[in-house]
Amino acid sequence: MKNEITLEAVRGMAIDAGLTHLTDEHLQQLLRATRTAQARQAALPTADLTPADEPAHVFRLDR
Amino acid sequence: MTDLAYLTMAEAAELLRGRKLSPVEYTRALIARIERHDGKLNAFLRPTPEIALEDARRAEAEIARGDWRGPLHGVPYGLKDIVDYAGLPTTAHSKILEGNVARADAVVAQKLRAAGGVFMGKLSTHEFATGGPCFDLPWPPARNPWNREHFCGGSSSGSGVATAAGFLPAAIGSDTGGSIRNPATMCGVVGMKGTYGLVSRRGVFPLAYSLDHVGPLTRTVRDNALMLDLIAGYDVLDPGSVNAAVGGYTADLERGVRGLRVGVIRHFYTRDMEGDAEMVAAIEAAVKVLGDLGATVREIETAPLGVYAACNRTLLTSEAYAIHEKWLRERPQDYASVTRERFMSGAFVRAADYINATRVRARLTHDFHALFSDIDVAITASAHDPACRIDDAEALDRTYGRQARAPFNVTGSPALAVPVGFSKAGLPLGMQIVGKPYAEALLYRVGHAYERATQWLERHPALA
Repeated sequence: MKNEITLEAVRGMAIDAGLTHLTDEHLQQLLRATRTAQARQAALPTADLTPADEPAHVFRLDR
Repeated sequence: MTDLAYLTMAEAAELLRGRKLSPVEYTRALIARIERHDGKLNAFLRPTPEIALEDARRAEAEIARGDWRGPLHGVPYGLKDIVDYAGLPTTAHSKILEGNVARADAVVAQKLRAAGGVFMGKLSTHEFATGGPCFDLPWPPARNPWNREHFCGGSSSGSGVATAAGFLPAAIGSDTGGSIRNPATMCGVVGMKGTYGLVSRRGVFPLAYSLDHVGPLTRTVRDNALMLDLIAGYDVLDPGSVNAAVGGYTADLERGVRGLRVGVIRHFYTRDMEGDAEMVAAIEAAVKVLGDLGATVREIETAPLGVYAACNRTLLTSEAYAIHEKWLRERPQDYASVTRERFMSGAFVRAADYINATRVRARLTHDFHALFSDIDVAITASAHDPACRIDDAEALDRTYGRQARAPFNVTGSPALAVPVGFSKAGLPLGMQIVGKPYAEALLYRVGHAYERATQWLERHPALA
């Protein structure tokens, strides 16, 4: 996702996600929230993850 | 009444067992205190005096015939209102769950009931354990008993307030990004987020499955250990529950800290995010106390605070959004504004981003726990600032992320918040003592030694 995500883009994404009852105020919140999430994503050191780096939550069956 | 209000759980247990104090008299005194003062503090969302007196009478009869159940028998406690108590609403402090009546006790509630505790009621929380403090909800937010114009921390806000205000000696909270330790620090009490999976989450409304922890808030370290003894334990029906040996958390309390190796994660509250000067000074003074008591202290490094925070929030918001998606689609207006915005940041997290956050989590967890080959416990900040004003939305927003608690939800490590003093304005300051998995007894040992060497316990908020 690009940092310059716009309100219109978020409005479209919200509709696609079934968030169809959002007011303009809610959409502004969603825009801020999405930008915050993007900034968080950028702060995660994922560039040097290798295929051997497995997720912390691995499906495991109890004996 | 003040004497009864500030009895510790251990002190009360001794008096009750010895029949020098009646559970009914004790309960009545605390009910009266709550009725007198809680209208200004809002610690309780739903006080239950009738249930409390019934529990107290039952406890009195049992103790009289010699059937003492243990340190909570006849002792008042409260539950954060995301924890089910059969027959009562679990509202999560939200309009969305206003009529949601629990059909069964949460596991933690079952255990406290079986221990003979006196249930005093459901305690205020941030909406769904994340959104707060909010003034656009059916119930008002809890306020700091040290200064009612100030925030009390959250999301286990009522749990922190009720213990600090002398309404209860013990309360249950939950912690996904710091929500036991935040109110513990802001209210000047003790809060334990144990190892992930130590305490069953069953019957507790989830915020984020892989980050949620349930734990106690109390006024003393010993009381906290007594409570953890009661609530820790394997639950086969909680997928995150761990089948490990539990209990004995008070066994090492008096061993002191001589020879223990303490690692200070100073960069969390200096280089990575500069803490308030008074908070930093109080933490450094606490570290010095541990050194003076015989611990060896050195500085240690781990990943930057921002990396842990990003990992915590990516996982938290994704998992929380999945839980709330249906309501956000159908009735977004019924959330408080703060809650809605926090949940919506999980709306567009891609699957690959979530998976990558869990891969980063695995690395962070491994690397952090590897530090414990050279240290016994770590010390760091809990909050970076004393509590701000509750009516200052900007300050609340600014200080929300200023904390060093979320790393230990990411790693699942046990972390104990303890008071370390007061600001010049009279607001509590705190720190965290952190360990490797299942090191709760060691954390309590360090916390107890620190508590005994300082006098913070002796101060109580003036509620008048």
